[in-house]
Amino acid sequence: MKRRNFIQKSTAATAFLTLGGLSMQSFSEKNTKQITILHTNDVHSHIEPFKNNHYKYPNQGGVARRAILVEEIRKENPNTLLLDAGDIFQGTPYFNFYGGELEFKLMSMLKYDAATIGNHDFDNSIDGLYAQLPHAKFNFISSNYDFKNTILDTHVKPYKVFEKDGIKIGVFGLGIELAGLVDPRMFKETIYLDPVEIAQDMSRILKDDEGCDLVICLSHLGYHYTNDKINDLKLASKTKNIDLIIGGHTHTFLPKPTVTKNSDGENVLVNQVGCYGINVGRVDFYFDSDKNKTSKGKSIIV
Amino acid sequence: MKNTILILFITLLSVSCKKEPQYLVKIEGKQLPISAEIASDKTIEDFILPYKEKVEAEMNTVLSYTPKDLVRIDGKLESSLGNLMADLCFERANPVFNSRTGKNIDFAMLNFGGIRAGITKGDIKTINAFNLMPFENSLVVVEMTAEKVTELAKYLIAQNKAHPISKQLNLIVEANEYNLTIHNLPLDDSKTYFVLTSDYLQNGGDNMVFFKDPVKLFKLDYKVRNSIIDYFTEIDTIKVELDGRFTKEN
Repeated sequence: MKRRNFIQKSTAATAFLTLGGLSMQSFSEKNTKQITILHTNDVHSHIEPFKNNHYKYPNQGGVARRAILVEEIRKENPNTLLLDAGDIFQGTPYFNFYGGELEFKLMSMLKYDAATIGNHDFDNSIDGLYAQLPHAKFNFISSNYDFKNTILDTHVKPYKVFEKDGIKIGVFGLGIELAGLVDPRMFKETIYLDPVEIAQDMSRILKDDEGCDLVICLSHLGYHYTNDKINDLKLASKTKNIDLIIGGHTHTFLPKPTVTKNSDGENVLVNQVGCYGINVGRVDFYFDSDKNKTSKGKSIIV
Repeated sequence: MKNTILILFITLLSVSCKKEPQYLVKIEGKQLPISAEIASDKTIEDFILPYKEKVEAEMNTVLSYTPKDLVRIDGKLESSLGNLMADLCFERANPVFNSRTGKNIDFAMLNFGGIRAGITKGDIKTINAFNLMPFENSLVVVEMTAEKVTELAKYLIAQNKAHPISKQLNLIVEANEYNLTIHNLPLDDSKTYFVLTSDYLQNGGDNMVFFKDPVKLFKLDYKVRNSIIDYFTEIDTIKVELDGRFTKEN
């Protein structure tokens, strides 16, 4: 729908006359909407595909291929968001040489919409991350890292609401506990806040205050641990109003997204696509304005 | 008049467009592999190229030369590559430590698993240093009690493998006895020792628990890989021998 063009090109009179037709077309015919979410995690500076003779991932991955895939999906559905769940940095000499500049520039070229911050994104210290921010034309979202006493203050958003085809998509981000994992000299005065409490707050703000149709959590907490450390599956069970948790950190290659229950007993999707840009996750959400259709319950196909 | 109609139109449009509630009816999720079947975006490839060329040029810079293959499996409880790594870390780190504290490191210890690749006879390039040490571990000096150093020796004996240790430490195992010397002196229970290792191992990596809770910890802000690169840059031809610093006699 290019309404702005339409108004500009038409005279007022014809615009008025065709109003009926327009509204018929836009609201009765097209009452199904589709939002596509594409996501990566733990790409770890993997710019090029793995070599042909790599023992584990021969000829897999590569940003130039990811660009084509993303472009094709965007052509198919322009209402697409491209997200990353952290650990963009560290893993190839590209990071050692350029400190993340190339990673951010390429992600900007691929038109990433947002990313959260992983523990390795502090590897050149919080100052190293800050220095690369001008190369990133996408948002950094982190809700449970309090950066107010650091150089990143105001450069990272606690959440962001995207609007695609009239559907409001709220995205918030969760980072892993840094103490014990990252040298304090690297993260400096970043304060880690409890991810469960923050997720409860964020999902309420996004659902109730911002009126989002869809709530997505970008998490770098990890998919699952055998100890009692917080992880994506636990997070899902302790929160509500989150539709999708996009995970990272544990480099978990899920064969398909996990469907689990939230604190209200409703379904939540948890997905993670391993690491190094080997895979891209895709989740499509279909909306309908016909309430009768929801009475049959929402179907989840994974 | 025209404007009024237009405003009216826009108002009507926005009223009739007032957000109809949307109900989520279906979700589909899947993983898309990035395989060779997907074409590569030329613009992206061209953009990467200058970065790639610079990295490759740097990686192929010749730093040093080795007249023989450097591997971690040419000895039983020591290796040419292990000895080299421990000795070069000591050599690079001690001046840094000394200038900051006025003290000297007693010996260095790393782990066998941390030697990630051998170096083939011939030119040594920057990429060899990256392959040998792909991790971002940094050097630390752990001030340890003699009791903890004894634990360290017992760990080496129990593990029975060629963990890299520097030449200042000598450990000879005979039957159920062992003889440990540091700088040719037996362990002195009344003093503490300054042991160089990586932050990874100091944090309990490879079960080296004796590095935990030290008397004092000194972080050198010096990456293990950078010490390797600096050493190779400085030394024209690498000379390294198996010298029996850790042996078991039957």
